[in-house]
Amino acid sequence: MNDATTLTLYLGAIGLLAIGIGGLVLARHLFRVVMALAIAEAGANLLLVLTGFRWDAVAPILTGADRAPMVDPVPQALVLTAIVIGVGVQALALALAIRLRQAYGTLDLRLIRARMAAEIDGAAGLAPAGSRDRPAGERPLPPPQPAALPGETRP
Amino acid sequence: MIALAVALPLLAAFLLPLTGPLRRIVGPATLLLVAAIALNAWPRAQVEPFTVAIGGFRPPLGILFYVDGVALLFVLAVAFSCLLLWPWNEEAGSRKHALTLLLAAGCSGLALSGDLFNIYVFYELVAVASYGLAAGAGSGRAYAAAFRYLVLSSLGSLLALVGIALIYHRTGTLNLAHLGELAPTLLNDPPGLAAFLLLLLGLGVKAELFPVNAWVPEVYAGAERRVSALLAGLVSKLAVLVLVRLLVLVFPTDEARTALLLLGTLGILSGELAAYRARDLARLLSWSSIGQLGIVFVAFAVPGEAGLVAGLAVALHHLVAKPALFLLADRWGGSLESLTGAGRGAPLAGALFVLFALSLIGVPPLPGFWAKFLVLSGLAAQEGGLWWTAAAVILATTVVEASYLFRVVGRLYARGAGGAPAPHATGPLTGAAVLGLVLILGGASAGPLGDALGRMAGQAADRAAYIGRVLPVRTIERPGTLTLNTAPEARP
Amino acid sequence: MPTARLATLGPLLFAAGFAFLLAVLVAGLPFGAPPMTVGQAIQGDAAGTVGAANFVTAVVLAYRGIDTLGELSILFAAAMAAGLVLGRPGERRAGAAPAGFILRAGADLLFPLLLVVGLYIILHGHLTPGGGFQGGVILAAAFVVPVLADPGRPPEHRRLAWVEGLAGAAFIATGLAALAWDHEFLAPLLGRGTLGSLVSAGTLPLLYLAVGLKVGAELTGLLVRMTEADGEAPR
Repeated sequence: MNDATTLTLYLGAIGLLAIGIGGLVLARHLFRVVMALAIAEAGANLLLVLTGFRWDAVAPILTGADRAPMVDPVPQALVLTAIVIGVGVQALALALAIRLRQAYGTLDLRLIRARMAAEIDGAAGLAPAGSRDRPAGERPLPPPQPAALPGETRP
Repeated sequence: MIALAVALPLLAAFLLPLTGPLRRIVGPATLLLVAAIALNAWPRAQVEPFTVAIGGFRPPLGILFYVDGVALLFVLAVAFSCLLLWPWNEEAGSRKHALTLLLAAGCSGLALSGDLFNIYVFYELVAVASYGLAAGAGSGRAYAAAFRYLVLSSLGSLLALVGIALIYHRTGTLNLAHLGELAPTLLNDPPGLAAFLLLLLGLGVKAELFPVNAWVPEVYAGAERRVSALLAGLVSKLAVLVLVRLLVLVFPTDEARTALLLLGTLGILSGELAAYRARDLARLLSWSSIGQLGIVFVAFAVPGEAGLVAGLAVALHHLVAKPALFLLADRWGGSLESLTGAGRGAPLAGALFVLFALSLIGVPPLPGFWAKFLVLSGLAAQEGGLWWTAAAVILATTVVEASYLFRVVGRLYARGAGGAPAPHATGPLTGAAVLGLVLILGGASAGPLGDALGRMAGQAADRAAYIGRVLPVRTIERPGTLTLNTAPEARP
Repeated sequence: MPTARLATLGPLLFAAGFAFLLAVLVAGLPFGAPPMTVGQAIQGDAAGTVGAANFVTAVVLAYRGIDTLGELSILFAAAMAAGLVLGRPGERRAGAAPAGFILRAGADLLFPLLLVVGLYIILHGHLTPGGGFQGGVILAAAFVVPVLADPGRPPEHRRLAWVEGLAGAAFIATGLAALAWDHEFLAPLLGRGTLGSLVSAGTLPLLYLAVGLKVGAELTGLLVRMTEADGEAPR
């Protein structure tokens, strides 16, 4: 029973962390990135709390009963802090997402990155980076549409 | 009393939205107070570093601030940099003032703290304040860059948190000195090294470590230059300081140093080579900053006092030079082509740029030369291919640095019609001029400055003395047994 | 097509590899039997020194008080940054009709209940699980639910800003007061009291009250500002 509990708890924590990190690096949609961050933070906090767990111990609160062994109170305090920090960061991420939607008209991260790079180049007075040579031979396909079309989201 | 260096900026930040007419001076006044507190503690720390137990709870139960020469030096640097780069011309919105004060408080806490999770909390404070400042430019690219920075930095914080969990699970304590005591028995194996690598990657995001520095060019180019100057100059150094404390106290192993050396060398290569290809000044400076921080990491990887002196020298030099270059880039915001002839129209700015460029490359007698010399001599004294490879890389990239910086200088003083006119602001040069003065003074007093740095490095490198000062009673033989110094504090 | 698969395969492999590595590392750790080096000492020391029955509160507010101060500052920084990003609260969306009868009546009923529960959790933080942060979030919910029911009457941002600023300053001022009494910064004051009663553990309930009010005001302002930022950018 102990092994099963251990396995489940650790799989849960590490699984959440892995799912969250996978989502963070893979997701294209801004909101999914924030969600993945929230999931990953939940996994990390769970991992931290598990470091204080003791078998057959009670919560670290004095209730006047007999002095049973208690779990470690320090990781619980650490996780309290970590959760609040995570909430603050997620709130700020959502505020940025709201503004990005208003500024770029899309929540697709790749489009946003392309437009951000184009804006930085534009603000510096540079022509956007690209090959200046014509491709050799005939173009079999029409040239790709530029990404910087305002107010349009790609399917 | 030294805890006020953290508490006062926080208090000022909390009350700032409520102060009416005093708003303009509350922030700078607080920073001056912080500098005064640090100077007040300076003589005592030079004689012998001391500890301050926050809340009166003795370590390792409570959190302590460890005050030695290096810590006070960086608190002074925080106050100085934030004052210099203060958002003076922000009107009614006092949010940027509050965020800068929070940044200052977090950085001071990072310099002083002696507890692992406390370092994590202050690191997050610096992170959130910098997200806000980076997004404060108000343009779409600022928001996008700040969002990418947030995501990458949060990923790093996750890794750091997992590292802290691993360390706590093995040792049961978070105090740096206590960890240093327990490390040889408990943290000297693969899980310990894994925890260090997780912390390195996590805390290294701010320190522009390779490979978690993808956010740097976008944020430094998208945010206001003043904010980029703060991040590149000040925040990155404090992140490095924290990693160095961990390295010296808790993980003084060869594997840890090798990891630092490797990542630093890769950072130098990627930074300088990318800077060579940059086409606008802001991104050139960002990549150059990555390269210079790679040199800082390589310097700190050298074991012993020599590494600490070299690292401190390079870090302090960069702390002075890079913000100045960003402030100058503020005037000449634009592509490199548009800089043609700009130096002729603004002789002081052009001269300052040349001064800082020469110092970055490492031309004697400027401080940059001494810093690089210390690094190279420290590397040369080591045995092993990796160290000499790093030295070769530094020498090679110095050539690359010289080429692209001289390319910019050449453009500044070129004759003839330039390319498209770029937005050249004509703002005040006070910030860059002050930093230039500091640089020249540093170069002129290289001898005594080097001695002072050497003393501070000696203090910081003395691991046994640190542990002895924090935990005066031999408290631990095995985990689970902790005999405390049980003399009770006087309580009302 | 194959390159797209590769692009998603890479990060997936990275995440899976990281998970595997972490599993291997964690498997070697003593689950359920932690070293408890500091934890044991705190459990022995807390009742006598701090006087709080809830050891986690003792750790959060007394032993690691400056971590809590940092946490408060982080939340404050996030609220400031979000306020900077979202801009000034725009004009009320004209014609934002109040919600239906059930939601409005439910909000009116819930408001005092949530207020009482939130304050209870805040004030009993040193005796039972709970505390300033948890209770503060419930207080924020208490103030946001009426805004959802009737978007035309949000709480005043000036008042929220005052509560937020003064509560945060009160926390630091309590810490500074310890300096005036010749202790270190953030040392607990006002005596221990009897263990387990509401008035015990010195300044700890007061600190948690400040924390709760600050967090409640902050989150309320943040959420309301987010709902107001919808729509066109007020550039």
